[in-house]
Amino acid sequence: MNCEQLAALYEEYALGVLEGEERAELEAHLARTGDKCVTGVAQARWVVSQLAHASPDAQPSAALRGKIMDAAKPSAGSTRTVVPIEKPKRSAQGAIFPAWAWVAAAALALVTGYTIRQMNNQNDQLAQLRKQMKIAMTQNQMLQNQLDMNRMVAMVMMSPDSMPLKLMPTKDKNMPMVHAYLHPHMGVAITADQMPSMPSARTLQLWFVPKTGKPMSVAIFHPDAAGQIALVAPVNMPRTEIAALAVTDEPAGGSPQPTTPIAWMAQVN
Amino acid sequence: MERILQRDATALETLYDRYGRPVYSLVLRIAQQPASAEEIVQDVFLQLWRSAGRFQISRGPLEPWLFTMARHRALDFLRLKREKQRRREDSDSDILPSAVVRSDPEGDIDRSRRAEKIRALLTSLPDSQRLAIELAFFEGLTHSEIAASTGEALGTVKSWIRGGLLRLRESLEVAGS
Repeated sequence: MNCEQLAALYEEYALGVLEGEERAELEAHLARTGDKCVTGVAQARWVVSQLAHASPDAQPSAALRGKIMDAAKPSAGSTRTVVPIEKPKRSAQGAIFPAWAWVAAAALALVTGYTIRQMNNQNDQLAQLRKQMKIAMTQNQMLQNQLDMNRMVAMVMMSPDSMPLKLMPTKDKNMPMVHAYLHPHMGVAITADQMPSMPSARTLQLWFVPKTGKPMSVAIFHPDAAGQIALVAPVNMPRTEIAALAVTDEPAGGSPQPTTPIAWMAQVN
Repeated sequence: MERILQRDATALETLYDRYGRPVYSLVLRIAQQPASAEEIVQDVFLQLWRSAGRFQISRGPLEPWLFTMARHRALDFLRLKREKQRRREDSDSDILPSAVVRSDPEGDIDRSRRAEKIRALLTSLPDSQRLAIELAFFEGLTHSEIAASTGEALGTVKSWIRGGLLRLRESLEVAGS
């Protein structure tokens, strides 16, 4: 990446969130290039440092001021060239630290770098695992919902109070039959197999056709990928007032009243 | 800074009076323990006093240098505390003091306005984006650590932080222009 591309990362670098290759590349670039990028990072540090102002305002004790000044006093008043961090005297051998100390420090730095890299990799893996777990949980929930629906359908189908109905295709006789089980309290269960696939802009809509009055929408549904239908919808009309059950092909989302001819129908006696 | 370099203790007092309170507020927000926060603030100002020669005006103004150093010290403290799992409630002696440091009215007003702007900006961000930035700044977490902590995708976290920082920069540029 060049200066301009890396400039987008300055604030993230100053914030300390960069890691791995991005961080290494930026640091290598800063080490190579001159003032332009270093100045950019300094500006980014200023921007990020301003987040400090988001901290709730708090007051230190008055004693803290005194402690700091007491600690500073012993070195106060000397010349500016004096740096209070004492410079160790060289040993008789002429080296501040023996060679083995430098080797040990280098080895420690290598081990630390390796450990940090390993930790970063593990964090990436952990994030990936969390994502996979989230997807698996969603799929599990969908399967659970489907299972619950199938149980409901089975209960309605097996209830002795349910009235079985066969909704026959009215237009294309090669279309499969739709089964309905009308229960006075648990609702109406609809099942079908080998239904043709439908475009996403269309849906099937189930209607109660009353003995008098307009059809009443009961449910909208779509065959699944295997061409199956299994659902239970509430019954919102006394069974004695229902003359027929009908299914029409409607725009996605359904219609207040049928807009196409009836595709499946069953009379309710 | 020139006076600090000349070992003028009154210059250090002036700096402390100007920056002591915001630096302490930041450190306390991260470290969560008043006594420890005061120790860190003391270290930061003494570090400034002892190593003033290392500070380069060309690399930016003093305030971010102080905030950055204080933040790093506080985050080091936080990491150490976490590693040792010794987080504990503040002791009785660790109660927030009520004494007031010497005032710096003009500086206080300027910082107060900026603080309001920063808080308003953070408040305007969606909760998840604000949380990501706070985890980065106040907890010292990296992109992947935030992703792991929040359960969000790494790319989403990067996008939140990048977007938030961009807005912060723009906001400060507008304020500065």
